[in-house]
Amino acid sequence: MKNLIFLIIPILFIGCIKDDILSDTVDPVLRLTQKAEAIAIDESFQFEFIYLNNVGREESVAVTWSSSAPDVISISQEGLATALSTGNSTISIEYQDENGLLTDAFEVVVGDETVEVEETQEKSGQINTTSTYALSGDFTLTAEENNLVLVFDENYNASTALPGLYVYLTNNPSTISGALEIGKVETFSGAHSYSIADVDINEYSHILYFCKPFNVKVGDGEIQDN
Amino acid sequence: MKRYIIFFAVSFFFSISANAGGPWPQQKGIGYYKLSQWWLNFDQHYTDSGLIDPNVTTGIYNTFFYGEYGITDRLTGVINAPIFSRNFTNNLISGTTGETIVKGDALNSIGDIDLGIKYGLTKPGSAFPIAASIVFGLPTGKSVGGEQGNLQTGDGEFNQIFQIDAGKGFKIGKNINSYVSAYVGINNRTNGFSEEFRYGIEYGAGLFNQKLWLIGRLNGVESFKNGETAETINSTSIFANNTEFSSYGVEAAFYVTKQVGVSASFASAFRGEIIAAAPSYSVGVFYDLGK
Repeated sequence: MKNLIFLIIPILFIGCIKDDILSDTVDPVLRLTQKAEAIAIDESFQFEFIYLNNVGREESVAVTWSSSAPDVISISQEGLATALSTGNSTISIEYQDENGLLTDAFEVVVGDETVEVEETQEKSGQINTTSTYALSGDFTLTAEENNLVLVFDENYNASTALPGLYVYLTNNPSTISGALEIGKVETFSGAHSYSIADVDINEYSHILYFCKPFNVKVGDGEIQDN
Repeated sequence: MKRYIIFFAVSFFFSISANAGGPWPQQKGIGYYKLSQWWLNFDQHYTDSGLIDPNVTTGIYNTFFYGEYGITDRLTGVINAPIFSRNFTNNLISGTTGETIVKGDALNSIGDIDLGIKYGLTKPGSAFPIAASIVFGLPTGKSVGGEQGNLQTGDGEFNQIFQIDAGKGFKIGKNINSYVSAYVGINNRTNGFSEEFRYGIEYGAGLFNQKLWLIGRLNGVESFKNGETAETINSTSIFANNTEFSSYGVEAAFYVTKQVGVSASFASAFRGEIIAAAPSYSVGVFYDLGK
């Protein structure tokens, strides 16, 4: 009997892996990504958009395209706009998902030449802790050819107590799911930078700091237009 | 490449039972043995600022064999061996999509074994016994495990703990034997871990003709913070250091027969840095040849 007790005790208390539920819902985003501020008469321009769902992941959806002045600019349901006569028109997209109606719009002039809206070359922001570990600092995100350069200012500061602190680009600051891992944090104070290959400057909305061993978010910062 | 991760399961949460430990060495040829199960589940921890943050639920389950044996009347050999140690983390699931964001993981192995000797600085039967101990914490567990390398059943370093215990037994009324003991110690650590100052005080009372012992404890660890941090360690490693805590605990030990008994204990940190913010529990069976 005594031996049986000795054997049973360990077996009774073996822990099992269960589930932790993370609240990771974000507002969906519908955004025109390729657009023209002017289209030359009788020319066409292909508009493009991106849809990020309620966890910040890009998803292919069918949107409704419209022109506020179809006699000035016509637009197909594939986003191909054609300038028909002089004037202005607002090109709009709409998508109804389970959370509501999403829209984006851009005003276009019919002119002498087609002028595509140039992509922002520099954005910036500020990271802040969302935990009780120290994390703060200003950053600048710059597009250089096909790469991004993420530069942190002198005022950057991060706790050295955390094991396995990583930095990400993400469209959902609650999770690393769908995020791009930039790398392990090796600098904990002062100016430093990361080079990120093959990423568009408009592709992600946030910088995320995440502790891998704890599987927990440490802080974030929204990437904002300058 | 050195790789270390945080080790929340501080062995001082583990507590031995009523009639072992303290400044009282075993008599020559007499032993005390205990098999116990210790466990800790936590979904939050004390951060380096002493505040509490959430973390993915992590569990640590250790099956300990603890033994003391009197080599002489003043010299006692001590072993505290986690003969089976399990460290796991839960799955992290998206509350929006139900998808698994980070898959749970588990590591099972033997843990870090403590081997030591205790020497009675005072004569056996002294009214105010004092004992000195040296304990070697052997890195027999796994310091890196699981798919992400973030699980461990040991800290991967060689501890050398030097400790002084003092105590006094006395009666409360006519029938209740009781004792109070305290210790201070230094843990000299290797591989870049900070040294530690350890301390504790314990009070126990034997009820019902010493069949039932009720014990209360306060324990603490203060880091010297003289080791490495994530900033100074090898850049490819995962490293956490400078764990501190103050904890309280209670234990009940009941002698089922003259020499065999069962025990149950509870301990929890009420202050800490880089340590679990959750209670630990232990149940065990002991065999006390000193009775």
